[in-house]
Amino acid sequence: MARYIVRRVLLSIVTLWLLATIVFLMTWVLPSDPARLILGAQAPEQSVAAFRLRVGLDDSFFAQYFRLIKGLVTFDFGHSWKYETYEVWDYLRTPLAKTSKLAIIAMIITAPISILAGLIAAKFRDRKLDRGIVLVGLAASSIPEFVTGALLAVVFGLKLEWFEPVYSTEAEKLSLWGQLSYLMLPALALALAYFGYIARMMRAGTIRALDSDYVRTATMKGLSSTQVMSRHVLRNAAAPTITVMSVQIGYLVSGIIGVELVFNYPGFSRVLLDAAIDGDLPVLQVAVIVSALIYMVATLMADLLIAWLNPRARLELGAS
Amino acid sequence: MTDTTNLPAAGNEASDVLQRSLTERKTARRERWRLLRRRPGFIIGVVIVGIWVFCAIAGDRITPYDPFTDRDSKYCARPPCPPSGAHWFGTDQIGRDIMSRVMMGARDLLLVAPTAAVLALITGSVLGMVMGYYRGWVDNLLSRVVEAFLALPVVMVGILVLTLSRSSDLLSAISFDSRNVLIIYVVALLFTPIVARTVRATVLGERDLDYVVSARLRGESNLFIMTREILPNITGPIVVELTVRIGYSIFTVATLSFLGVGIQRPSPDWGLAIAESRDLLPADQWWPVTFPALAIATLVVAVNLIADSIQTVYER
Repeated sequence: MARYIVRRVLLSIVTLWLLATIVFLMTWVLPSDPARLILGAQAPEQSVAAFRLRVGLDDSFFAQYFRLIKGLVTFDFGHSWKYETYEVWDYLRTPLAKTSKLAIIAMIITAPISILAGLIAAKFRDRKLDRGIVLVGLAASSIPEFVTGALLAVVFGLKLEWFEPVYSTEAEKLSLWGQLSYLMLPALALALAYFGYIARMMRAGTIRALDSDYVRTATMKGLSSTQVMSRHVLRNAAAPTITVMSVQIGYLVSGIIGVELVFNYPGFSRVLLDAAIDGDLPVLQVAVIVSALIYMVATLMADLLIAWLNPRARLELGAS
Repeated sequence: MTDTTNLPAAGNEASDVLQRSLTERKTARRERWRLLRRRPGFIIGVVIVGIWVFCAIAGDRITPYDPFTDRDSKYCARPPCPPSGAHWFGTDQIGRDIMSRVMMGARDLLLVAPTAAVLALITGSVLGMVMGYYRGWVDNLLSRVVEAFLALPVVMVGILVLTLSRSSDLLSAISFDSRNVLIIYVVALLFTPIVARTVRATVLGERDLDYVVSARLRGESNLFIMTREILPNITGPIVVELTVRIGYSIFTVATLSFLGVGIQRPSPDWGLAIAESRDLLPADQWWPVTFPALAIATLVVAVNLIADSIQTVYER
């Protein structure tokens, strides 16, 4: 197990380095002038030149590249270009926490429901109930999150008035319980998107387990169906589901941007879009790398969890 | 004399085998098509996609009003006006007919998204075939790069690349159409690694099968084996990947447009329309957001129904 963990972590570090390089190359090859963007079209040529010099935009390719990599290693990314008193990380921290809050609420809503739905669908395979769950899952996961969010806001926010249709900073004065009325619809929009993926994987995993020899053996040796379900089926169906959930945490970061914008939620998306429009390169690069990092940590944790749950997977992974 | 009688016989046998395998393939194709037609999901999907494609092609020739300029002050003094007999979907902030705009809004999305998916499929297939066929260090190196790409959130990288290129002097004067070309390139670039991974996995399953080994023993070139032997045998997974990728591509392009970095004004694009009118929600003006949102929802669900049916039929 220890060998496996070390291998897996080392591989992640290589991936992180590669993706930081990709992000750097992307910002390098694009023919844009961030200094001009930051200072505006009217700014005099001297101040643009001075700015380029100050933030190191005139440095060589390798100097700029190593600055980014060094920032990653030391976790010190320097200052925002737009708001020069802010350090990049301090600037990103609060919105990131807000976005995480939304994501966690969405996961809490969706995980038990979709796992249960997947189990039920597998149990009633090819009957009406199963078809219904599969269809809802397909629709829920294929519609972009911002569209789901907009439709939820119209139906449950404006028409039925169950929840607040848009977020407002008023909510931050309330307790977490009071905030739920504001957070519910954005969280629900995300939850619906995950529902599709998780329920589909859970269904597939459960069907595979139900058809397996070990479940037939367990049934034939006289275990009750609850025992078969909890001891044999669930454990084996869990692995692909955990993988999908961890991958979804990564996509969550993408989907959440649209949802935040629909509901005017002051999270990661606003910082990211503002930085993109302003040409605040350090903030933009770090934001993209951090969200990729979240995805990598999530998949790493999932792989370790699966290895811990399932000795067979541990053997296969250790051997490869 | 005996030589010449012998030769055509051998030729006949070979063409017999070829003929048989071709008929087999034809039967399989006909069988898949029959199974597809029996799936209600597939039929519903095709009908809905068909309607949107028709709207995209016909455009302002069939819309009840002009989607760009018509400002209706007769029925509606203070826009936006709610749905009515004159404007079934209501009008937007400046009095344009939303139904006309929704019908017209299919055009750019259906031009950009499937093109990006096809482009990604071509580049991704080439990459995936090379990785899966050659293995070794080429595969190892490219696999790491693919993995790094997969960790990057598609929408975020889209924002990064599209905003930075919008700001540049070089592209600031670009016309509306070349903006769409840029979106196609960016989405295709981001989807290429995903396609490559799928194709690589499929090629890995084929490369040690008898027909590949015998082709290699016959002394065929690698290029011939990849394109003439392996490729025809993995069309199933590639077709499935294409339909799935078109769904994701629509999803991504719509999201990018909603975020303001995708398709630009004056296009009546759905994502863009939602972004422009989402501020009206708190004022209880629901129609400018709802109808484009429903349009996106029906299109992506329809495409995914088709993709799902094709996948089920190919994998049985």
